[in-house]
Amino acid sequence: MKMLSAIWDNLKGLYSLLVGMCITGRYFFQPLKTVHFPRDVVEPENLASYRGPLELARGKTDESKTRCISCQMCAKGCPGNCITVVKSKEGKNPVTWLYDFTLCCLCGACVEVCPTAAIQFSHRLYLVSTSREALVLDLLKDLEERVAAGPLPAAGAGTPDAKKPEARMPDAGGPQKAAGGSAAPDPEG
Amino acid sequence: MSNFSFLNPFGVLDEPGTYMGDFYSNNFARKAQAGNVILNLGPQHPSTHGVLRVVVEMYGEYVVRSEPVLGYLHRSHEKMAEHKTAYGFLPNMGRVDYLNAIGWNWAYAGACEQLAGIECPERAEYLRVIAAELNRISSHLVWWGAFVLDLGAFTPILYAFDDRELICDILQRVTGSRLTMNYFRFGGVGADGDDLFFSKIRDFIPNMRERLKMYKALVTDNVILRRRLEGIGPMDADLCVRYGATGPLLRAAGVPRDVRRSIPYGIYDRFDYEIPVAETNDNFGRYWVRLQEISESLKIVEQAVAQIPPGKHIVDKAPKPSWKLPPGESVFSVEGARGEITVHVISDGGKSPYRVKLRAPGFSNLSVFAEAAEGTILADAIAILGSLDLVIPEIDR
Ligand code: SF4
Ligand code: SF4
Repeated sequence: MKMLSAIWDNLKGLYSLLVGMCITGRYFFQPLKTVHFPRDVVEPENLASYRGPLELARGKTDESKTRCISCQMCAKGCPGNCITVVKSKEGKNPVTWLYDFTLCCLCGACVEVCPTAAIQFSHRLYLVSTSREALVLDLLKDLEERVAAGPLPAAGAGTPDAKKPEARMPDAGGPQKAAGGSAAPDPEG
Repeated sequence: MSNFSFLNPFGVLDEPGTYMGDFYSNNFARKAQAGNVILNLGPQHPSTHGVLRVVVEMYGEYVVRSEPVLGYLHRSHEKMAEHKTAYGFLPNMGRVDYLNAIGWNWAYAGACEQLAGIECPERAEYLRVIAAELNRISSHLVWWGAFVLDLGAFTPILYAFDDRELICDILQRVTGSRLTMNYFRFGGVGADGDDLFFSKIRDFIPNMRERLKMYKALVTDNVILRRRLEGIGPMDADLCVRYGATGPLLRAAGVPRDVRRSIPYGIYDRFDYEIPVAETNDNFGRYWVRLQEISESLKIVEQAVAQIPPGKHIVDKAPKPSWKLPPGESVFSVEGARGEITVHVISDGGKSPYRVKLRAPGFSNLSVFAEAAEGTILADAIAILGSLDLVIPEIDR
């Protein structure tokens, strides 16, 4: 009796082993699901809702002008104190808009609180640096560069709730360049 | 130092007190019997899920005594709360327990809302339930993969992460992040779900049900797994109650306690779901309860997505970042993936809360380990540790 049950046990074990092998074998022949990062990147649709470091939205009339009115709401509301906005002497527009990405927890308080919708999350996934200083971003300069690089493809994409990613996906050499370089904002497009 | 010898590098105790180690192991070794070995599991060992360290006294292959050593991941979240505004502490909640960010979001937002008397719009309540249940599923999936990995099977964790990625995609749609989600606001949620969000969930539910069948065939019915789990690591209801262990641990001991049922919060009373309870009171019971909870959560999500009403996702005049909590105190509990999460907020009406106490379920669950692992062999002790579903950042806070 004891021997019979031992044999039965072994058969059961063998069966569950076979079931496992079958399942693993089936998945072995299915297409690859992972993205092999440096050679391949995540498709842009997936990044549309991803919160990357902040960027300034394009102005309504003059695209290279920020909508920011230096009201300091974002700087006061930020739990990480990562925003520095300095108002210009002449008008409302800021002369400096510094953003320390090392301190930012991407909580969204600044984006929600801004009365003019001047800030939005970018979808930059590949921003890396070896120094802290390089991650303190000058967003005014960044805005100028982005506008200089070309207009947005879709209308209304400058608002924070727009789901269209800007042309941020690096081409074949993109990620490596961003990873290796010390310059903080990664190359456009 | 002088007692160290290369013939005896692991500190076999010829006489108590001769072990060469740090403060914790020396202190622990003082009570050890001569001839027993003191072994450090962790803090860098992969099977301890993060930086948990457990000092064990071994008699041959058997665990005589054990003691968890904590604090390697302490980030003083509670102290941070005293220096930030109530709103500014919200993002911290996603970081306390990285696998169950939404549960903590809810506990803190709930405590503050209770104190200030803020009511959520209907739609926000539904969105909260959807996010919390999806997050529970993803947390259980990671636990499932890691637990089976502890037991020596590598493949299942890859399947678990495959499914979890889909949940991350869904939650990223509304929260913007994949791990440290900061979704809840006082009086609602951060963003409304769009059509893509809901259609992704509708696709995900049948997909996940199919996968659960596969999980059952691949892992749950596997004889090796059964032998490793069944009858191992008994933790009866009395033990769980003494240490304050909650969640799947308590339910696997036959106590049907789930905060969603016993102290209903949000709109959980509107859904039809069951609280899985196992009577077997062993590792397999805890395994079974968690897998069952995945399918119950799927049921809740399905109903919530079908019933969600149109409307606003956050109240008008929702608190701003500079908002001050009214004076008073409030306690709010939610059922997290690991057990009962309780947040106790005390405010004196100042800029920041006066004190925020976070009750992490993992901490109480871990304290059961020393007693449960007593007298088991080391490999079973690892299985018991895995079945507790520990997330170290939550324990250390
Ligand atoms: S996302 Fe949060 S932490 Fe980052 S800058 Fe905005 S308010 Fe500050
Ligand atoms: S809240 Fe908006 S408008 Fe005010 S300073 Fe910040 S970015 Fe500028």
